[in-house]
Amino acid sequence: MPTFLLDDREIEFNPGDTVIAAAERSGVDIPHYCWHPGLSTAANCRMCLVEVMPPEGRPALLLDVLKYDDEKGDYVLARKPKLQPACQLAAAPGLRIKSQTSEHAVEARAAVQEFLLLNHPVDCPICDQAGECRLQDYWLEHSGKKKRMKDEILHRPKAVDFGPTIVYDAERCIVCTRCVRFCDEVVGDHVLDKRERGNLGEIVLAPGRQLDHAYTLMTEHVCPVGALTSKDFRFKARVWFLRSERSVCQGCATGCNSYTDYDPRNETVYRYRPRENQAVNKYWMCDDGMLDYRRIHEHRILNAKLSGKKSGVDDALGEAASKLAPVAKEKLAILLSFTHSSEDNLALLELARALGISQTYATGRPNGTGDNILRSVDKNSNRAGVLQLAEATLGAAPLDFQSLGRAIESGTVGAVLALGSEVDDAPALDLLRRVPVIAFSTFEGELAQRATVLLPASSWAEADGTFVNAAGLSQVSKKAIEPQGDSAPAWRLVLGLASKLGVTLPFAKAKDLEKVLSARAPRSSAGSVPAGQATAEAQA
Amino acid sequence: MEPLDLELEATEIELPVEPMLVNVGPSHPAMHGTVRCVMELSGESIEHVDVQVGFLHRGFEKMCERGTWSQVFPYVDRCNYVSPMLNNVGFAMACEKMLGIEVPVRCQYYRMILGELARMSDHLTCAGAMAMELGAFTPFLWMVKARDLIWDIMEEETGARLTHSFGRVGGMAKPPTDGFKEHVRAVVPQVLSILSECERLLLGNRIFLDRLEGVGLISAEDAISLGWTGPCLRAAGVPYDVRKAHPYLKYGEVEFDVPVGTNSDCLDRFLIRFDEMKQSARIIEQSVERLADQGPINVDDPRVILPEKHEVYSTIEATIQHFKIVMEGLKLPAGEVYSYTEGGNGELGFYLVSDGSGTPYRVRIRPPCFLVTAGLERIITGQMIADVVPCFGSLNMIGGECDR
Repeated sequence: MPTFLLDDREIEFNPGDTVIAAAERSGVDIPHYCWHPGLSTAANCRMCLVEVMPPEGRPALLLDVLKYDDEKGDYVLARKPKLQPACQLAAAPGLRIKSQTSEHAVEARAAVQEFLLLNHPVDCPICDQAGECRLQDYWLEHSGKKKRMKDEILHRPKAVDFGPTIVYDAERCIVCTRCVRFCDEVVGDHVLDKRERGNLGEIVLAPGRQLDHAYTLMTEHVCPVGALTSKDFRFKARVWFLRSERSVCQGCATGCNSYTDYDPRNETVYRYRPRENQAVNKYWMCDDGMLDYRRIHEHRILNAKLSGKKSGVDDALGEAASKLAPVAKEKLAILLSFTHSSEDNLALLELARALGISQTYATGRPNGTGDNILRSVDKNSNRAGVLQLAEATLGAAPLDFQSLGRAIESGTVGAVLALGSEVDDAPALDLLRRVPVIAFSTFEGELAQRATVLLPASSWAEADGTFVNAAGLSQVSKKAIEPQGDSAPAWRLVLGLASKLGVTLPFAKAKDLEKVLSARAPRSSAGSVPAGQATAEAQA
Repeated sequence: MEPLDLELEATEIELPVEPMLVNVGPSHPAMHGTVRCVMELSGESIEHVDVQVGFLHRGFEKMCERGTWSQVFPYVDRCNYVSPMLNNVGFAMACEKMLGIEVPVRCQYYRMILGELARMSDHLTCAGAMAMELGAFTPFLWMVKARDLIWDIMEEETGARLTHSFGRVGGMAKPPTDGFKEHVRAVVPQVLSILSECERLLLGNRIFLDRLEGVGLISAEDAISLGWTGPCLRAAGVPYDVRKAHPYLKYGEVEFDVPVGTNSDCLDRFLIRFDEMKQSARIIEQSVERLADQGPINVDDPRVILPEKHEVYSTIEATIQHFKIVMEGLKLPAGEVYSYTEGGNGELGFYLVSDGSGTPYRVRIRPPCFLVTAGLERIITGQMIADVVPCFGSLNMIGGECDR
């Protein structure tokens, strides 16, 4: 691999790389605002300026400049090299570049930082970006100087409504145009643009438009400062109190990699952030996915219920066992869920096997809208995983929900053990009333309403879970918060039911379940966090 | 009740021959702080003793690992609560060593004056308590009065008499007050005159001298091998004083002597504290002379020093600086450092490990008292039980420093 020299380090690069991209891959951070690895190069923030050393034996290209001399109290003639933006500079073999070691680059960055903060309002205490703001980080790292301007700062429009999800603050904006480029290049919707220049530069909406495409929250995500804020997250939490856990978005079958940001003090999830994964979602997530975290706390079933009345989980499990006992095992059916993790589905499949149940059905959320960027039409996070597991465990693919309705109608099903909260075929739902239904549900809904015995299953954020996306990639979503209310992971509830029924399953702990699962469904890429995720944390 | 058997000869009475176990502490009026002595007595002499120090456990070192570096200051205050300023300065200097910064000269002299005042307060407490425990109540009251004069200065400067939390990484919380020099110049002679009165009162007293002289002996080798430092080591004749051996702040530029003892008994340990207070007064006198009236007290480094409040409220640069230091904590470069200063009772060391974040990765304290107290066993074995009191007093165990 060809290399170039950055400060004192050899940096490897691929032909066609820019200096900043190659440096970032090697773990060397060149400060930048406008450059984003997933977007085109704008080179407008001038923070990544570096000094390119002349070839051996050649004189440096120097510019004549006037420099203020403190001793003389006047400007004097000086010479300095022409600096280059590292984001636009193509890497070449043998190039010698000075970044932190170049006094000119260091001086230039301090000057850029001073200009960017020139008209910046004193907003940190009320700004959502505080704590993950580039302006704050870079001021301390690259400037550290006090304000010199004596004048009142220039005041600009604040809290401009950009659309259903985004609020814009022109005073905080550094006009790096990341949001403009994101909309243009990733979404293909030229809804944002920049007007004016210098102090007056600001981001504006296209006339008659709102920022209302399906990826608006990404504009907030790429914003390196607090200019764009999400209406959803605005004034909800301070980021330094939040902890992050790696997760997989449950909004559709794409399985975008995300961070679940939660507050450990009140066990509340406040937002998702995309996690870089070049094989799945690159750097992005859609609005539906970004807001999908809300389901973790909304419409949750937090207690067991017996015919709609609250009950203890243990009593409910006993009641479920007594409901199942009189039914002949040929008449028992299980209903798997495409929205639950492979662990939960596997537990139910193992119970079916232990009880000798052969009727297997599966359902999930109905299809929705999709696009060719990230969003999948299939809104179930684990359809591929469930189909594969059922095949491997019982040797047959599960039938759909409509078939379950028909089976109940014809009397071949006498009781249903159901996992999940939503079904993809409404007419068959009413037929469920004819038989006892034991449901392991996370959310209130039609299935939960029809359950004879309802058991509170915890959501994906409350347990480790494996999900297989539409492309067949198996990915693990980690536990962020503790199970809410009386809820427990569905596999644990199934385990409880098994013991009430007097059957043993081949696992008793999460670890055993993990082993059974990996034997049943070998992972195509275990752990499944392809290369590139290491840099995701830097992409705040 | 049965009548005594008067016919029994006194020689025939069987006296118990097995040693008697006496337990003192861990919570006992005779013990300063929580320490426990289990003594095996043969008659009145101590055959064996088991000194157990670890009863006070606040988890000082662990507590330090959860806040920021600046939030450690209140904790070190409470390690030695009779000379907290020395601990404050010691910890601040450890952090500064890690950062590679040096505080302005004005701050260095300020730290020296406050530190020496704290040392006087420490020694006054020790000497006064020692006298009181041997029955001399008057000198204790006089010395506490002298200590109060010093604490008045502390209160004036820091706002708190005891737990000042006045040190800062890169300087002090506030510059000296306007009347500081005048105040110090007025108080130090008063303290010295009280000292000489106490000297006259105690050092002509047979009972007091008899109870200290030749009691609690330890050889210089033993003291060194136990890790003793400070007045107790110097009483054993070893002239080790961090201020002289490895000068820090401006100790290399002021004149003072390191008093040493000759007999290494309780009396030497008592007298050496008197001599050290006189040396402290010399240091203070010279430092007050050199303390500039104007000039910065804190380093000019945005990484560690909080900006002025009015700037925080009006400019974004100062707001960011404030935010970074308060919310994330000032950051020490990744690495480790051992920094040591002369505390009230010997070498006060801080071993810091930083992972580069705003929170300490590890703070290890080398408190002088913990090691000195460990030698109690050595000096009271073989002594009479009544000697425990002067021996223990002369070591000046500060419970807070023995936190394990």
